[in-house]
Amino acid sequence: MNTFLEKIKFYSAHIIFTLICINDSIFINTWIAPGPIINIKYILIFYFSFFDKGRFSITFLFLIGLIFDSLQGMPFGMTSICFILLSKLAAYLKQRRIQINFQNEFIAFGTSLLITQIVSVIILSYFSQTPFEYLLLVINIILSIIIYPIIKTLLKVFYYY
Amino acid sequence: MSQNRLARSSTPGVSSLQRTISKKFLLPFYIIISFLFLFSEKSDFKTIRFLKALINDGITYSVYLVNAPVKLISNFGSSARHYFNFNIVLENKKLKDEIDQLNAEKRELQFSKNENENLKKVLGIKNRDDYVSVYAKIIHEDTNEFAKNLILTIGSNEGVQLGQAIVRNNVYLGKISEVNLFSSKAMVITDLNSRVPVVIPSRGVNAILKGNGLGGAQLLFLPQNTVFENNDQIYTSGSDGIIKEGLYVGKIITDNKKEIKKKKYSVDLGFKEHQLNYVSVLKVKK
Repeated sequence: MNTFLEKIKFYSAHIIFTLICINDSIFINTWIAPGPIINIKYILIFYFSFFDKGRFSITFLFLIGLIFDSLQGMPFGMTSICFILLSKLAAYLKQRRIQINFQNEFIAFGTSLLITQIVSVIILSYFSQTPFEYLLLVINIILSIIIYPIIKTLLKVFYYY
Repeated sequence: MSQNRLARSSTPGVSSLQRTISKKFLLPFYIIISFLFLFSEKSDFKTIRFLKALINDGITYSVYLVNAPVKLISNFGSSARHYFNFNIVLENKKLKDEIDQLNAEKRELQFSKNENENLKKVLGIKNRDDYVSVYAKIIHEDTNEFAKNLILTIGSNEGVQLGQAIVRNNVYLGKISEVNLFSSKAMVITDLNSRVPVVIPSRGVNAILKGNGLGGAQLLFLPQNTVFENNDQIYTSGSDGIIKEGLYVGKIITDNKKEIKKKKYSVDLGFKEHQLNYVSVLKVKK
């Protein structure tokens, strides 16, 4: 029974992440803020890669990335690369830190998010013709960084990392 | 069998080594596959496009199934609110008044329509292309920092083509941006990349309506010193030759500043996002 509950708890992160990826608009735009404001999916990937390296496997992130691209009309493969990159960056930045405190973690999140978004912009501008608003992207990064401590606290309560 | 088990248990390092090797190869493998997908975006091969349309269809319909319970829960709140609506008598009376008023307007419109047809005959003006509408269900609605899309249940099997307008109750919502075999994607008017030629008939002004990516839109290329009033209505102008003219888009809302140069205009769109279930795709009648 105990192991069954543990399994449910383990895979709940995968289920939440999948639902958030396929329901970005329902979870974020209607309830919290209008428009594509906060990047909860990136926060989740960073959190679980930073504190529990093995939880989101590369295969899982690759497949969810493809589903996300298909639903959003993005160039196929773009989100998969971004998800894997963010996950690897988070794991690498944690490895490099000797002492893990909130400040270090916060800086690591900001850095990884910035690098990932820069990569996504490069891919999008090279492989897709559609223009996009840089201001909106900056707002997205800043608000994701601001909201990170809140989501992190909620996850910490449930997953104890 | 038992020897095999023994062999496996005596060499515990082998499986972990295999796992490490496969993990080491997985990362470059997925990166290469992703880049192959990305480069296929630029290619124009029919087979690749067909394969992508198939993958898109598969993902779309499986997401629809996975998402059904989530939608059920999110719709439960609004259904409960409707069920416990105690002002139903008042609402009924209000709706009856509205129907009477609309019927009166309909009669006036019919008269104007007949008059217009007769005048067109006298002047020898030909009617523009007729449109037929195809009914479609929205199975998914998604937004990210780059785009806003609706996914519809009809694709090239129903003759859907790129650029066709999607409407709801004659209100313009957006246009088809990608066509698969049994599904299609529509770009909503509020998407950052959306540009629609519009006209404000009460002022005789043409403009371009651009989405702002945050659930709204703004008017571009307005003539200098144009003055609008509150509730001036915006319609599609049809000047691009694809979108039907005269579809209602929304109305103008102005601030209360008296100086013309300082006045700012915003657009109140004719539909509410996240409340769409069904739409119609407008096709040119052949």
